[in-house]
Amino acid sequence: MAVQAELLAHQGQEHSQGEHEGLANTALLGMLLFITSEVMFFGGLFAVYFSIRAKHGAEWLHPPTLPEGIHFAVNPIVIVATVLLIISSFTMQWGIWRIRKGDRSGMNRAIAVTLLLGVVFLALQAYDYSLLINEGIRLNSGIFGSLFYTMTGFHGAHVFGGVVGLAVILARGAAGQFSAKHHVAVEAVSIYWHFVDVVWIALFTTLYILR
Amino acid sequence: MATTVLQPRSSTYSRAGIYEWLTTTDHKKIGIMYVLTAYIFFFTGGILALGIRTELAAPGTQLLEPGLYNQVFTMHGTTMIFLFVMPMLAGFANYIVPLQIGAADMAFPRINALSFWLIPLSGILLFLGFATGGAAAAGWTSYAPLSATEPGRGQDLWIVALILNGTSSILSAINFLATIFKLRAPGMTLLRMPIFVWTQLVTSVLLLFAVPVLTSALIMLFIDRNYGGGFFDPAVGGDPILWQHVFWFFGHPEVYIMILPAMGVISEVLPVFSRRPLFGYKAFVLATVAIGALGFGVWAHHMFTTGAVYFPFFAFATFLISVPTGVKMFNWIATMWRGRLSFTTPMLFAVGFLSAFLIGGLDGAFSAAVPVDFALQDTYWIVSHLHYVLFGGSAFGIMAATYYWFPKMFGARLDERLGKIHFTLQFIGTNLAFFPMHLLGINGMPRRIQDYAPYAGWQEWNLLSTVGAFMIAASMLPLLWNIFVTLRGPRDAGDDPWDGNTLEWATTSPPPAYNFEHLPEVRSERPLFDLKHGLAHGQTSPAIPAHAGEGPA
Amino acid sequence: MPASRVPTRLVLLLAAAALGLAGCAEAQGPIGHGPGFFPPPPISDRGLQIDSLYQVVFWIAAAIFVLVEALLIWAVVRYRRRGDDSLPTQTHGNLVLEVIWTVIPAAIVLFLFVASMDTLAKVESQEDPPSVTVDVTGFQWQWTFDYKAEGLSFTGEGDKGPELVLPVNETVRINLHGNDVVHAFYVPQFLYKKDVVPGRVNSFDVRVEQPGTYNGQCAEFCGLAHQAMRFTMRVVPRAEYEAWVAAEQEKAKATPTPGASAGATLQVSAANAASFEQSTLEAPADTAIAIAFDNKDPAQPHNVAIKGANPDGSDFSGKPIANAGEKVTYTTPPLKAGTYTFYCAVHPNMQGTLTVK
Ligand code: HEA
Ligand code: HEA
Ligand code: CUA
Ligand SMILES: [Cu+2]
Repeated sequence: MAVQAELLAHQGQEHSQGEHEGLANTALLGMLLFITSEVMFFGGLFAVYFSIRAKHGAEWLHPPTLPEGIHFAVNPIVIVATVLLIISSFTMQWGIWRIRKGDRSGMNRAIAVTLLLGVVFLALQAYDYSLLINEGIRLNSGIFGSLFYTMTGFHGAHVFGGVVGLAVILARGAAGQFSAKHHVAVEAVSIYWHFVDVVWIALFTTLYILR
Repeated sequence: MATTVLQPRSSTYSRAGIYEWLTTTDHKKIGIMYVLTAYIFFFTGGILALGIRTELAAPGTQLLEPGLYNQVFTMHGTTMIFLFVMPMLAGFANYIVPLQIGAADMAFPRINALSFWLIPLSGILLFLGFATGGAAAAGWTSYAPLSATEPGRGQDLWIVALILNGTSSILSAINFLATIFKLRAPGMTLLRMPIFVWTQLVTSVLLLFAVPVLTSALIMLFIDRNYGGGFFDPAVGGDPILWQHVFWFFGHPEVYIMILPAMGVISEVLPVFSRRPLFGYKAFVLATVAIGALGFGVWAHHMFTTGAVYFPFFAFATFLISVPTGVKMFNWIATMWRGRLSFTTPMLFAVGFLSAFLIGGLDGAFSAAVPVDFALQDTYWIVSHLHYVLFGGSAFGIMAATYYWFPKMFGARLDERLGKIHFTLQFIGTNLAFFPMHLLGINGMPRRIQDYAPYAGWQEWNLLSTVGAFMIAASMLPLLWNIFVTLRGPRDAGDDPWDGNTLEWATTSPPPAYNFEHLPEVRSERPLFDLKHGLAHGQTSPAIPAHAGEGPA
Repeated sequence: MPASRVPTRLVLLLAAAALGLAGCAEAQGPIGHGPGFFPPPPISDRGLQIDSLYQVVFWIAAAIFVLVEALLIWAVVRYRRRGDDSLPTQTHGNLVLEVIWTVIPAAIVLFLFVASMDTLAKVESQEDPPSVTVDVTGFQWQWTFDYKAEGLSFTGEGDKGPELVLPVNETVRINLHGNDVVHAFYVPQFLYKKDVVPGRVNSFDVRVEQPGTYNGQCAEFCGLAHQAMRFTMRVVPRAEYEAWVAAEQEKAKATPTPGASAGATLQVSAANAASFEQSTLEAPADTAIAIAFDNKDPAQPHNVAIKGANPDGSDFSGKPIANAGEKVTYTTPPLKAGTYTFYCAVHPNMQGTLTVK
C-alpha cells in the first residue's frame, strides 16, 4: 500500500492560497470566456455582412440591397457618439486605476461619467435610427437595412447591458463595497465595457467607413 | 480492495426533499437532474423515431400524413441532438468532472443550476409547437429559405428554444473551462487529467466557439420570419447559402461536441476493465485537440452539392480528421491488448461503441470523397452514417457511462444479467435498424420522405430497419426495469466497485456534499491505481524501445 | 469481478452474428429486386467515373473495417479474463506503433484525396457547346423542364412529374433555377445530384450512355410535398429524340386559341402558392367556359383545374400550365349546373368554388 498523502481537505484548497485572489481570478476567467463567446456571436454577424457585401460588389448600397432612390449617408451625430464611447473606455479605465489605489470616491466619479456617456451614446443611436427610418432605411427595406439594424441593434443591447452593469457597480460603490483588494466586479464590468467599445469601433469602421 | 479513508455515508444527499432538488447548486444533484431530463427526452425522441419507422415500414401512408411526418422527423432530430445527447453528456460531466479533478464543486454553482434549468425550459418550448397548430417541420438543419417561409408558430418556437438551449451550452462551457483550469487538486497537472476531463475541456472550447455562431444565425432567421428581414432572401439581396454556411460552422463542431465526451467515457471504461493503462495517453490528448481544431475547418462538407464551396480545402480537412480518430481507435484496441478483460455491462457497451463507431466513421470517409458524396448526399446513406456515429457512438457511450457511474451516483450496481440482455438487444437492433439504410441510400432513397414508390425495391430493407428500431425500443425495457429494481434494493456497491483508477472512486458512493474528505496524492493520470499498486507500475515511461514488443505488434 | 462467463460468451456470439448479418448483405445480394452494396449501374459517363471512385473507397473502407473488427474481436476473445486476476503488464504506449498507425491512415487519406480531386475534375467538367440544354426549374412542389432552343416547356403536377427526354450519347447541359426554397435535382443512376438554389444558377453536363427510362426525385427537403417531386427521364436515340421534339412542337402549336366558342369568360388570377385571388366563381351551365388565367406569382407556375368537369367524370386541368408571370386562357368542356371545386393542379391546396347555374 502506497503512502497516503494527507492533503488539504478540498474546501480549504482555493481559500488557502489567498482566498480572494483565487475567487477573483476564477471570476475574471469566466468573464473572459464569456467575452470569447460574444466575439463569436458578433463574428457570425460580421461574417454574414462581409459575405453578402462581397457578393454584391459595386451594387452594394444600391437596389436591391437598399430601396430604389435611397442613399445611406453618415449622420454626423454618429461620429459624436463614437467619440463619446471611446472616451467612456478611458473613463472606465480611470475608475479601475482609482480603485486599485483604494480611491473609492474617485472610482465612483469615473463610473458615473462612464455610465452617463453610455446613456448618451444610446440616446444618440436612437436619434440616428429615427433619422434613418425617416429616410426609408428599415429592417425590412432590403438586406442593408436588415444587416445594419441587426448589427448595431445587438451592439446597442450590449451597451444597455453594460449600462445596467455600471449602474450596479455605482450603487455598490456608493455603498462602499469595493476596496483596493476587493473589486472583482468592477474589473469584470470594465473588461466587458472595453469589449463593447471595441465592437463598436469595428462596426463603425465596417458600416460607415469601409462602405 | 484499497480505498481512501472511508466516509460515513451521507444521508442528506439521497433523502433530499423536492425543494432541495429544485434549488440545489450541488454539481452532483444538477448532474443527476441533467441525466434524468436527457433520458426523458431520449424516450420522447425515440417514440418519435418509432413513428418514423412505422410510417416507412411499407409504401403508402401508415401512420403519419406528410405534414405530420415532417414535424416528427424534425422534432426527432432536434430532440435527440439538443435535448438528449448534449444534456446527457453535460450531465455526466457535471457529476464526474469535479470529482475526477478533485474539486468540491463547479466554479460557478449558481450558473450551473441556470444552465440546467434552461434545458427543460427549451424542451417545453420546442414541444409546445405541437400545441400551436404544428411543430417545426423544416428539419433539424432548418435550411433557409424554407425555414424562413414556413408558416406557423412551431418554427418560431424552435428558434427560441434553440437560443435558450444554446445559452445553456455556452454557460456550461464557461463553467467547465473555469472549473478545469482553476479548481484542479494539487498535483493534478493538465497532463495528469483523466481523458474524460480532457474531452470535456475540448468540447467546452468547441461549444464556446460554435454555439454563439448558431445563436446569431437563429436571430437572423427570426428577423427574416417576423420582421421582414432579408438575410436569406435573394430577392432583397440576401443569400440562402449563407444559412448553410453559418449553420454548419456550428453544426460540424457540434457533431464532435456529441462524440468527444462519449469517447472520453470509453477511454475511462476500457482501461479499468482491461486493467491496463490507456495506451498512448499523450497521443490521445493530442488526437482530441486535433479533432477539435480540424472540426472547425470542415463545415462545408455538408454543402458539396450546393455548387458554392471550395472543394479541395474542405475535402482535405474532412479526410484528415480520420487520422486522429484512427489513432484513438488503434490506441483503444492496444489498451485491451494483453489485458485481463472482464465483460461487465459498461465494458460491453464500450466494445459495442468501437465496433459501431468504426462503421459510422468509415461512412463519413465516403462522404469526404466529394464525387461519392454527390451520390450519397441527402440519401439514407447519410441517415445511416449519422445514426452509426450518434447512436452506435454517442448513445453507446452514454449507456456505458450509465452502467459505469450508476454505483457512484446511487451507491448500487445495476444488475449484470439485465444489463447483458439490454446490450445484446441494443447492439443487434442498432445494426438491424441502421445498416440497411446504407443500401437504401446508395440505391437512391432520399432522406426526409414520408412515402416511397413501391416499384423502387426499397420495401424489404425498410421493413428490416423498422424491426431493428423496435428491437432497440425493446432493449430499453430491461434498462428501465434494471434501474427500478436496483434503486429499490440495497445500496451496497461500496466506494470503488470496479477497481477504478480515477479520483471519483476515492470517495464514498454517493459522495458527500463537499466530495472529498481526503484526496490521494496525484502523480499520474491514475491516482487511485497508484495508491493501490504503488507508483512503480504507473510510471513506466512511455515509448522507450525496450517496450516495443509489448504493443499489439 | 462477478461477470459470469456463460452469458459473456453468448453475448459475443450474438454480436458476431449481428456483424455477420450485416456482412451477408453483400454476399446474398439484394433481397428480391432490392438494393445491394453498390450503386445502381451508372448510365452516364460521369456516373461511371463516380462509380469507379466509389469502388476504390469501398474496398479500402472494407479492408479497414475487416482489419479493425478482426483486431477487436481477437482482443475480446483472446484477452478476456479467465480466472487470473493478476495485474497484466502495464504498457503506457509505444512510439513506433503509434507513429505507424498515424502515418498509414494519413497516407491512405492522402491517396483518397488525390483520387477524389481527379475524379471531381472529370465529373464537373463542361463541354461547350452542349448539344442539348435543358433549363430545369424546381419549385414547391414540382419541376419545369424548359427546352428553350426548341421552344418546349413541361411542368409536372401532383406527384406526376414532367418527363425529361434526352438523346443518348450526347452532352446535355442542365441548368438549375430556383425561386422559392432549396431543392436538388437527383437521378440515382447518374450517381449525382445538384442543388437548386434560389438566387443562383447551378449547372452540370452529363452524357447518358444507356437508353431507357429512369426515375428522378427531389433530394433536398423542401417542405410539405417534398417526396412528391418525382420525375421521369427517357433517354432515346437521336432520331427518336428529334421526332419527339417535332411532335411536341406540333402539339404546342395546336393548343386551341382560346375563348372563341365559349359562352362566358372568367377572370382568374393567383399571386402566390397559397390561394387564388378569387375564392368563388360563377358561370352559366351547358356551355364551354373560357378561363383567362393570369399567373401574377413571380416565383411559381400555376393553372386552373376543376374537379369532375370532364365528360367522363375526371378532373379538367388547364393546359399548358402558366409559368411565373404568364397569362394563359383555358377552355373547359360544357358544365352541368352544380357546384364544383376548382384548384391548381400544381398546388392542390389552392382551392375555390365554382357555381354553375
Ligand atoms: C457524432 C457525430 C458525428 C461524427 C463523429 C461524425 C464523423 C464524421 N463525419 Fe459526419 N455527420 C454527422 C455526425 C457525425 N459525423 C451528422 C449528424 C451528419 C448529418 C447532418 C445532417 O445533414 O442532418 C453528418 C454528415 C456528414 C457529412 C455530410 C454528408 C452529406 O450530407 O452529404 C460528411 C461529409 O463529409 C461527414 C463526414 C464525416 C467524417 C469524415 C467524420 C470523421 O470524423 C470520421 C472519422 C472516423 C473514422 C474514419 C473511423 C476510424 C478511423 C480509422 C480506423 C483509421 C483509418 C481510416 C481511414 C484511413 C479512412 N458527415
Ligand atoms: C443522437 C441522435 C439520434 C438518435 C439516438 C436517434 C435514434 C433513432 N433514429 Fe434518428 N435521427 C437523428 C438523430 C438521432 N436518431 C437526426 C439528427 C436525424 C435527422 C433529422 C432530420 O433529417 O432533420 C434523424 C433522422 C432519423 C430518420 C430519418 C428520417 C427521414 O429522413 O425521413 C430515421 C428513420 O428511420 C431515424 C430513426 C431512428 C431510430 C429508429 C432511432 C432509435 O435508435 C431510437 C431508439 C429509442 C427508442 C425507441 C426509445 C425507447 C422508448 C421506449 C421503449 C418507451 C419507454 C417510454 C417511457 C418510459 C415513457 N432517425
Ligand atoms: Cu423539392 Cu424536395
Ligand atoms: Cu460534418
